[in-house]
Amino acid sequence: MKGSLPEEETSFRETSAEPHTASVPFSHLSLELGHLYMEDFAEGPDRLRRHFAAVRPWADAVRAGVGPLPEGRRPRISTCFLVDDYFSRLATPAELLPPLLAAAREAGLTIDYLARESGCAAPDPAHPGSAPLAESVLHRLVESPPPGSTGYRPPVGRTGWLTNGRRTPSRRTSAALDASDVWQPPSETLARGHSVFMDVELFSGTEEDRTWSCAFLASVWQLARLGLLRDNGRAVLTPAPWDPAAFPADWDALPPVVRLTPDAAPFTAYGTCSVLPGRFLPVEHAVRVVLDQVQLEPDVLDQAARRSEAEGYPLPGGVVERTSYVFPPGL
Amino acid sequence: MGAQESTPRPVRPVLACGEVRTCLLPTRDAVDERAAEALLRLRADERVRVSRRPNRCAVSPDVLTGIDCRLPTANGAKVRAIGTVAARAVLTEGRVLQSTAYFAAPAEGPDGRRPWGYYLVRPGLLVPVGRLPAPAVAEGFLAGHRQGELDVGSVAESLLARISRAPLLDYDTPLNTASTVLRWSARPAPADGEPSLRFTVGEEGLRTVALRLPEGTAPAAVAGLCEDLALHDWLLTTVGDKLDGVRLGTDDQAAVRKVLGPLVDHLLHLWMPRARLERVLAGLWDALEEAPGFTRQWDALAQRIRDQLALRALLARREALDARLTTR
Repeated sequence: MKGSLPEEETSFRETSAEPHTASVPFSHLSLELGHLYMEDFAEGPDRLRRHFAAVRPWADAVRAGVGPLPEGRRPRISTCFLVDDYFSRLATPAELLPPLLAAAREAGLTIDYLARESGCAAPDPAHPGSAPLAESVLHRLVESPPPGSTGYRPPVGRTGWLTNGRRTPSRRTSAALDASDVWQPPSETLARGHSVFMDVELFSGTEEDRTWSCAFLASVWQLARLGLLRDNGRAVLTPAPWDPAAFPADWDALPPVVRLTPDAAPFTAYGTCSVLPGRFLPVEHAVRVVLDQVQLEPDVLDQAARRSEAEGYPLPGGVVERTSYVFPPGL
Repeated sequence: MGAQESTPRPVRPVLACGEVRTCLLPTRDAVDERAAEALLRLRADERVRVSRRPNRCAVSPDVLTGIDCRLPTANGAKVRAIGTVAARAVLTEGRVLQSTAYFAAPAEGPDGRRPWGYYLVRPGLLVPVGRLPAPAVAEGFLAGHRQGELDVGSVAESLLARISRAPLLDYDTPLNTASTVLRWSARPAPADGEPSLRFTVGEEGLRTVALRLPEGTAPAAVAGLCEDLALHDWLLTTVGDKLDGVRLGTDDQAAVRKVLGPLVDHLLHLWMPRARLERVLAGLWDALEEAPGFTRQWDALAQRIRDQLALRALLARREALDARLTTR
């Protein structure tokens, strides 16, 4: 028995009542070849060359580490790079992207897919009228309950923030109560002995003029690479083929994800690995706090699980465990 | 990567429990399909399921609430469970709003709490720490929770409140009605036994339903059955209460029409038991049709309303005729 409208028992079926979930292709691994701020680009081609030269040996190690795969299977690995066009736009794609691709090439790396960070925040241009991806993910957050959560008055979420535990109780302001007002520490749920408490800012600004945080967009980026996001059952951020010799002068004229290598393995993958500068460690810690509290559609999770199982490459159940990182020295 | 912790196997729940709140949508007129979709759109990326046959019905996506607490038990045994309670809202014919909060539970779980992601890939499942005394929890759940124990009713209530806050509702209802609460628990039927259903109306109007169902029945399907029961129980209760409060023998025609009119306009067409049930669950309705006889009672109520209106129309016509004769 599955769902509430069993196939063999109803002779009259309505498509509007039946959810349909599109499937996406899967690589074994989506390998991210670094991330840079706009300021880094401004430093010029040498900065980019240093970046990719530092990434190269680690990218090779990650490739070699995929598996184990069943006898005779070759790993499908695609590479990607996320360009920050959300927080600042110092240069046009036509100015910024060719030197980036050239620097990667010089280090012996190929960027198969290029993505724009705005694509994680805005509605998918391929589906006009769809919900902005970040907002969809925001609606899917189910906060991890501290022990003692019964469902009665769930702890009021601090709008726009997400923690990995329980916050310090707010201080009483009444003078009469101040005597008993002793500071209580925050706590991490499932801490090993001592807490590492984190409170992640998801966005700032009003609902009409919202700025998503880097950490939250990075979470959306991870989910997109894992092929776990849909919009009303449709695939999102489907890569568009693009000629690397013809980048536009306007970021918005570039699809959110473009495929630069025609025969690349699929953009979406069972697992992700990101080779990142160490300064992104706090951001990625925040990403793990977010990913641990996103409820994905069961159908979508099932698809990935069934497909990987059929390939002899079973996935970890939790989504966080499907992501991995390298923070190499000198990056 | 690799197989450190495998993808969740489909667990076979040994228990499913839930609570349904049923009320009139707080607005003057029944809402159309577009408004129904807007009301039940709890998430930006997941659509509202709409069905038009055999009646119009819209179902929201499930939303989850994180839980980590003790479960109510009939024998006082302390059982901690962690996971999520699922909640969804249903709008029938744009007129009656229901919210259900429900969960399923497996026979046993890990010895302690796992990372939260473990529970999120098992939506609507409360995983016990250790073994689950399913019969004691099923019974304890129906009896109600104590402080510090799982409070599924609050989850249903807050979803109802969230939807009721929508600006497109005008709160100018055509009739005053009370909302009802129906609490249910379901366990697999014994290997040699038939599925069964026990419906009880308890103190303060609380309805409880104890179910024994074929093994493998999906918790969402059980929730659907109980929403169907709650809807029809609410219709019977509401129409019965209205007829109870009106003095049909009175000469105050306007007052009687004021009560009966809205019932005809808004509720009489809603009776449609078993509209979307799986066959095995639809069979359980038969027991209720036998005793207390839901549809029999409804037919009697509906007939009484129609007779009253017909009689009153007749009387009104005669009065008009008399008036014309005397003025001539």
